[in-house]
Amino acid sequence: MAASHGRGASRGRPRIPMRYALPVLLLLVMVGMLLVRGYVYSSFVPDHRVRPPAATGHVPERILDGGPVIDARDTSKPAKSLRIPDRTIVLTFDDGPDPKWTPRILDILRKHGVNATFFITGTNTSRNPGIVKRTVAEGNEVGVHTFDHPDLSYLKAPTIKRELSQTQLAIEGAAGIRTALFRPPYSSFADALDDKSWPVMRYVGSLGYIGVFDTVDSEDWQLPGVGKIIDNATPRHGKGAVVLMHDFGGDRSETLKALPRYIDLMKSRGYRFKTVTQALGAPSAQTPVRGMEKLKGKAFVAAVTVSDNVTKGLIGCIAFVGVLVVGRFALMLVLAYVHARRARRRERGGGAPPPLAEPATVLVPAYNESKCIANTVRSLAVSEHPIEVIVIDDGSTDGTADIVEGLRLRDVRVVRQHNAGKPAALNNGIRHARYGIVVMMDGDTVFEPSTVGELVRPFADPAVGAVSGNAKVGNRDSLIGAWQHIEYVMGFGLDRRMYDLLRCMPTIPGACGAFRMETLRQVGGMSEDTLAEDTDITMAVHRKGWQVVYAPEARAWTEAPDSVRQLWSQRYRWCYGTMQAMWKHRRAVVERGPSGRFGRVGLPFVAAFMVVAPLLAPLIDLFLLYGLVFGPTGKTVASWLSLLAIQLVCAVYAFRLDREPMRHLIALPLQQLLYRVLMYVVLVQSWVTALTGGRLRWQKLRRSGVVASAPATTARRDRADDRRPVA
Amino acid sequence: MSTPYAGTPRLPGPARHRAAGNHPGATRPAIQPPAETTAGTAPAAAGGRDRYLDTLRAIALVRVVVFHIFSWTWLTIVFPSMGVMFALAGSLMARSLSQRGAARVIKGRVRRLLPPMWVFGVFVVGTLLYAGWHPSRHGGGITGIVSVLNWIVPVGAPPYPDPAAHPWGWLDSSWADQAAGPLWYIRAYLWFVLASPLVLRLFRKSPWAALALPLVLCAVCSTGIVTIPGESGEAVTDFATYGACWVLGFAHHDGLFRGIPRYLTVSCASFMMAAGLWWASGHLTSEGWNLDEIPLGQALWSLGFVTILLQVSPSWKRLPDRLARFDPLITLANNRAVTIYLWHNLLIMVTFPIIDQAWNIPGIDRFGSELDASYSVLSLVLVWPLLAVAIVLLGWFEDLAAKRRPRLWPNGRTRTMGRATGRTPPAGRWAGEPVRRPRHDREEGRHGGA
Repeated sequence: MAASHGRGASRGRPRIPMRYALPVLLLLVMVGMLLVRGYVYSSFVPDHRVRPPAATGHVPERILDGGPVIDARDTSKPAKSLRIPDRTIVLTFDDGPDPKWTPRILDILRKHGVNATFFITGTNTSRNPGIVKRTVAEGNEVGVHTFDHPDLSYLKAPTIKRELSQTQLAIEGAAGIRTALFRPPYSSFADALDDKSWPVMRYVGSLGYIGVFDTVDSEDWQLPGVGKIIDNATPRHGKGAVVLMHDFGGDRSETLKALPRYIDLMKSRGYRFKTVTQALGAPSAQTPVRGMEKLKGKAFVAAVTVSDNVTKGLIGCIAFVGVLVVGRFALMLVLAYVHARRARRRERGGGAPPPLAEPATVLVPAYNESKCIANTVRSLAVSEHPIEVIVIDDGSTDGTADIVEGLRLRDVRVVRQHNAGKPAALNNGIRHARYGIVVMMDGDTVFEPSTVGELVRPFADPAVGAVSGNAKVGNRDSLIGAWQHIEYVMGFGLDRRMYDLLRCMPTIPGACGAFRMETLRQVGGMSEDTLAEDTDITMAVHRKGWQVVYAPEARAWTEAPDSVRQLWSQRYRWCYGTMQAMWKHRRAVVERGPSGRFGRVGLPFVAAFMVVAPLLAPLIDLFLLYGLVFGPTGKTVASWLSLLAIQLVCAVYAFRLDREPMRHLIALPLQQLLYRVLMYVVLVQSWVTALTGGRLRWQKLRRSGVVASAPATTARRDRADDRRPVA
Repeated sequence: MSTPYAGTPRLPGPARHRAAGNHPGATRPAIQPPAETTAGTAPAAAGGRDRYLDTLRAIALVRVVVFHIFSWTWLTIVFPSMGVMFALAGSLMARSLSQRGAARVIKGRVRRLLPPMWVFGVFVVGTLLYAGWHPSRHGGGITGIVSVLNWIVPVGAPPYPDPAAHPWGWLDSSWADQAAGPLWYIRAYLWFVLASPLVLRLFRKSPWAALALPLVLCAVCSTGIVTIPGESGEAVTDFATYGACWVLGFAHHDGLFRGIPRYLTVSCASFMMAAGLWWASGHLTSEGWNLDEIPLGQALWSLGFVTILLQVSPSWKRLPDRLARFDPLITLANNRAVTIYLWHNLLIMVTFPIIDQAWNIPGIDRFGSELDASYSVLSLVLVWPLLAVAIVLLGWFEDLAAKRRPRLWPNGRTRTMGRATGRTPPAGRWAGEPVRRPRHDREEGRHGGA
């Protein structure tokens, strides 16, 4: 017991490697941005309740019968009620600032030489700091109208305090001042105070705020017409008034039209326009802030601004992704249909090329495949097409070559070499090949008897230089297996049919592909330049002007990675390898002839769907979360489900084309949720590698081959995971 | 003609051979391996205990204690303890019923369950009587006295006063309510044990029907199509809520999970959990996302969650190295599950007056708000030593009930009571007993204690 503890301790604490840290950091930043945005744009618990009127037994009479301004700051004395002097108007605008209407109102006020008081909310302030700054600079007053306009009588004291202090923070950040004025949301006249709202006013007073109610309500938010607004806002008998108007909350054009006429009318009646404190003859309610306070406010407003912009960018991205994803699915469905129909017509004999009788060489590179190699070779022995089999033993230490030789099969040769990596093994095999068509497969893959024939058949067209087969997942009953099965069926059944017709097949899977010997000679065989030699060579074949086609009936059965770890390292290799291959063939973009066509059509296509789109895909899930937390929940779930439905339709079609039973599709929703996240992290990791350590790795790769350069994986798996569903 | 993959060591199990050459119509070799099973091991291999299940039970117990202190409702989602406990109990019940007759099994279960509960009952009822409570005042008259029998055989809810007097005065008046809070589980467990022979027969005849039945019952009760009032209604609701988990335990014992591909169970389970969350989102209580108060949400979420846990079920003969240091704790928790479960809520109540003593420390008033804020944490710290005392003082009743030699501290270490019992004693079949949150808010109790 003690010994094992000691061992455990000496192993040291596991550190979080960079490859997890960076993607996670990126995600966290995005989540943080969305949280700030969610906080500002909607409260955590959307709360639009307004309390019905309650009893008024506990509200002092002099408050109910008194003026619109309530000063309850000194808790040791009863609250004071203050009136506006006669012939004085205090214009107040609630709920703003609004980016459209508030500046126009300010213009009118300035033109008429009039000041008003704006009761602003924290959310709108943090979104429009510039307007608040201008409001204050032009001599108007601002007051706190809470952060997101809840009915305070439902809230507890700490929440009310937070509502006010955060609004104050936003105002500090926007205009560099604090204000002592406050107006509760959903308030009206002071005589409307009741036993529920009065304690709130007492509490807010104790925090140092002066409450400002109104005496005349223009009711402009009901859009009653310009004349009616003016009429509503006109006090009777020359009395002083606090007039309520709104600069936020929809169409304010009536308010805007009424305002100049109203000001002129009131001025002609001898009224003077003042702010709250001016009207009361009190010192300004606004005090400048400095130092830390101001910095904090600025930081808050800046965070909101940044998150606003980032979110706008993200929304743009998600729209882009949506178009890309849906467009791709539509394109795939159409092209897959066309491809399948052509294949069917060919099968019926309409213009089908005569079956090629030419025998083929099958290359089986093997490294420590003792468990599978016998099955692989036996499956080849029953091939319906005439073949020779060359097993290239890449320095196995488990007797792989001996097993093959022990089978004593006709037409099966074993070539032994020192361990030099898969590309070298394949090149070695190519040197030994006798026939004009070379089929390549993996040491743990099983062919059907007709597979080689199906792979060879398209070569009847002399323009075809390479053929991709159809890799199938054998271990499809585990969860990860089922996910990959769905991925493979869609990747081969739809993607590859599309790539075939668009002439930009990015990859011939290492597990199942065939090349014309002449083509191989032209491109110089397999290369060790990238981690994905299959993508590399396929691109090279395109650039030489050969066609690459997909043979859906050429099935090869493989065992997919069955742990997240293995899957991770496989996908990392593919992803990074594809990036390497694209970078290697980047010159194709500017070249002429077939190479240029591939470079200008195929490469951007592959880049869009394999590198850019998956990078943005997790936004879908991020916004799903955002929508779930901040709402609208129903719409969010509905749109996510409809995206899922589109996926499902495509998947069903792909399964039908491949004549696969549909039952595995039940794993699709979970696959969409979890797999996408995994693939995203892998992709980001590849990007990080490409942008930071890319060159270094490349160098190392040249010396030690594939085995050494794929991260965190066993040697056997490294060599065995070369069948790729997409690209 | 050979079949690819046929007889390979790599793909264990009887691959469905469909030699391509023999069937002209067959276009592909049938190499799909059978479900990726847990390496063909039977659950809880004969004799030894399945340490995976033991670990789950220990986690469930700890989660229940933590939940009853902090009232974090999200804990009910993170780990649905009750569903897990009932599933484990169901699995063990199916195992016993496969080995012995129903009457003997039920007798054995009841014998293990009730004596520890009687000890608890004697303490609680004794204290209540001493403080002047009389059961006839509860339901009134003769019913009240009859209902006291539930303290002996809890087929219904045992009566207690709320608020309750306390002879020493330092416990909060809700103490009886809090103490009796966990008893609903005993009642539900008893119902399940009594119903098991019948349900198991139904399950073996038609597994899906047996699994669906409690869910349908739960849905019927939750949608208000049928409302059963009062105590029996709660009993039926509990039965319906966790019945599916119990049946899932049967399925685990019978090895049903191994016959179904993993992708299928996990996917279906995730749908079930999503449905549970969806239902819960529309039926939030005043406590928010407390699944314990949302029966159908709890039933679906627990069923999905437990399905995944049991599908994963690695059938550990011994704990993996990483968990090895928790071995004594896990063993102890499993051997004293009833004791821990029955007493933990009362002991949580007891921690508060103990923490109150801190106010007597001179100068503590300066840290008054900090002390106020840390009551829960202090309670969590204090409850474990109290539970340890309860285990030492009262735990051996569990051994007596199981007709075993009494032990003070059965954590699997050999020194206990001078007798080498090996890693784990074979019994402890009673499936542990966590609790759902007591039905009454315990906030008051805490503040009262402060």
